[in-house]
Amino acid sequence: MNSAFTDDQLALAAAVGQVLRAHCPAAAVRDGRTAAWPQLAGIGLFGLLVPAEHGGLGLGLVDAVLPFEEAGRAALPGPVAETVVAAPLLLAGDPVLDKLAAGSLRVSVRIGDQDYSPDADLADLLIVERGGVPYAVRPDAARLTLQPGVDRARRLFGVEFRDGTRLRAGAAPAARAMTVTVAAQLIGAARHLLDTTVGYARTRRQFGSPIGSFQAVKHQLAEVAIAVDFAAPLVYAAAFAVDRDLPTVDRDVSAAKAAAGEAAELAARTALQVHGAIGYTGELDLGLWLARVWSLSAAYGGTALHRSRLREAILGAPVLRRWP
Amino acid sequence: MDLDFTRAEQAFRAEVRDWLAGHVPRAPLPSMDTREGFEAHREWERRLAEERLSVVSWPVEYGGRGAGLIEWLIFEEEYWAAGAPGRVSQNGIFLLAPTLFSHGTAGQRERFLPGMARADEIWAQAWSEPEAGSDLAALTSRAERAEGGWLLHGQKTWSSRASYADWGFGLFRTDPASVRHRGLTYFMFPLAGVTVRPIAQLDGEHGFAELFFDGLYVPDDQVLGAPGEGWRIAMATTSSERGLTLRSPGRFLATADRLVRLARSTGADPVLADQVARAWLDAESYRLHTFGTARRLAAGEEIGSASSMGKVFWSELDVRMHTLALRLLGERGLLDGGAPDAEEGGRWLDGFLFSLAGPIYAGTNEIQRNIIAERVLGLPR
Repeated sequence: MNSAFTDDQLALAAAVGQVLRAHCPAAAVRDGRTAAWPQLAGIGLFGLLVPAEHGGLGLGLVDAVLPFEEAGRAALPGPVAETVVAAPLLLAGDPVLDKLAAGSLRVSVRIGDQDYSPDADLADLLIVERGGVPYAVRPDAARLTLQPGVDRARRLFGVEFRDGTRLRAGAAPAARAMTVTVAAQLIGAARHLLDTTVGYARTRRQFGSPIGSFQAVKHQLAEVAIAVDFAAPLVYAAAFAVDRDLPTVDRDVSAAKAAAGEAAELAARTALQVHGAIGYTGELDLGLWLARVWSLSAAYGGTALHRSRLREAILGAPVLRRWP
Repeated sequence: MDLDFTRAEQAFRAEVRDWLAGHVPRAPLPSMDTREGFEAHREWERRLAEERLSVVSWPVEYGGRGAGLIEWLIFEEEYWAAGAPGRVSQNGIFLLAPTLFSHGTAGQRERFLPGMARADEIWAQAWSEPEAGSDLAALTSRAERAEGGWLLHGQKTWSSRASYADWGFGLFRTDPASVRHRGLTYFMFPLAGVTVRPIAQLDGEHGFAELFFDGLYVPDDQVLGAPGEGWRIAMATTSSERGLTLRSPGRFLATADRLVRLARSTGADPVLADQVARAWLDAESYRLHTFGTARRLAAGEEIGSASSMGKVFWSELDVRMHTLALRLLGERGLLDGGAPDAEEGGRWLDGFLFSLAGPIYAGTNEIQRNIIAERVLGLPR
């Protein structure tokens, strides 16, 4: 057993982080919804899960969790996770994967416990589950209805369509992978919120001292650090379970989503409290991450749904299992 | 990342599981906080030592198996899942021994480690003092120079296992002009020369004691590390206390499994059922987190202040799990001597009382949160 990520996995995550720091600053999240897309294509991110015969790297979800943690750290906008993670699984064998791996096909996906199609207006292809079956839908065959929502950089749409191509792949494996990917983004967003808030608490002075020297502030931030530190391993283990299709996979996926969602919500709530009134304004970039946390926390099933599944999986299962 | 165990790890797990299945005492041992129970636990430690299972991660020459940290974690999982007795030797093998390995002399290791592994000498920790508590640097016990050694004076308190143990370890001020963490020295001393006053705990038993030193002579070879270096050396010990060793995931996994079985057998309303499921999962999270910590330690990294995160997490999880068990049992939980499926074959009530000490000992959780904020996150003091 070796819980360490490989050098290759770490290197890919570092490359994604570097690209995002350079090409996805907060201003780009504010003003646009496809920041860093060409640069991410340039380092091969869109081919991560695409098999080699379609020009991809043929890797697994374990290789994707750290890059998507970086995406969460940057509040990366756009249907990147849907295109990188869900689409290759749903479109297995389709020649269109060549285009997708090259970064020239954007896909919006609505499967599993996701209620709406994120960033559907930016997509070259829509994949929508209906009656348990995923369909590929061309944008010109669909009618999109924008939903009012908290995250202006992750817009949600209702999708109605008449003509779609029934996909052979089931929706469940892709939905599991997406749920874990969303959890990884939540971890990244939580880490960013913690770092930013610590930085603010070190410099912001009140009553003659940096507010970070007050124990009441310290203890809140320590609680966030603990929550994030103990949620992350559940996300990594869930990615492993998805790749291996372990018997515990559904439970592990729910565990990852619930824990990451709660940690990120705590990070967001604490970040806002410690920043005080300035955090409540739109002048600070903080709101971009708050909105992303709230949006992703509800995506692919919120905490309550996954907690109730966990209760069923743990108390209702005939045998309690751990892996390995 | 590969979360599968290797063949060797699986074989080790199977061996430990089989041995424990054949040897764990059927009836729970009496509490180790009684004279009779202490000696019964000593006998169990000796039985483990015969199998080289009392200290699996130590080198073979001192009674161990030279096992890696992952194997040690596997051992712990199997140990607690088997319902085996609590470890009366844990202060020595988990707190003092790592310090002896990193800071002791070869002579000290040969003198003390084999006896510790066989439980011939059981150790008490003597960190706290009446006015110090979690503020360890505020201690005032002192040692004065004597021919070939030192004379120890002062008082220690809340000294775990000291009521019946053979030896103790703790810090004494050797430089009278020093303040706070400077001028402290790490001593090992026989309890035979110390006045020990057992202190009754919440459960009425005597798990800890006060120690009174009235010029106890300790030769130089019972000083661990250089005089004046005690603080630095003790910090290495306390971070292993908070971190990996004192409260391994195995124990929480076993408690969490028992809690789930209890919830199934008693029936749980949806609110309690949610909390039980969550506790089970938190134990799993602690396990996965610890594999990561073990991997970092094996790679030569020091976990240092990050161990404070684990301490807060496991101690609060422990309280939550035992509180839930008592709620599931209702009034029975606070009365019944034989609640089904309790930790170590004993009572959930005992586990509950023990769990309440977790957020207090090894540095209170308030102190741990300060450490996390200042040394992990870098917030100002």
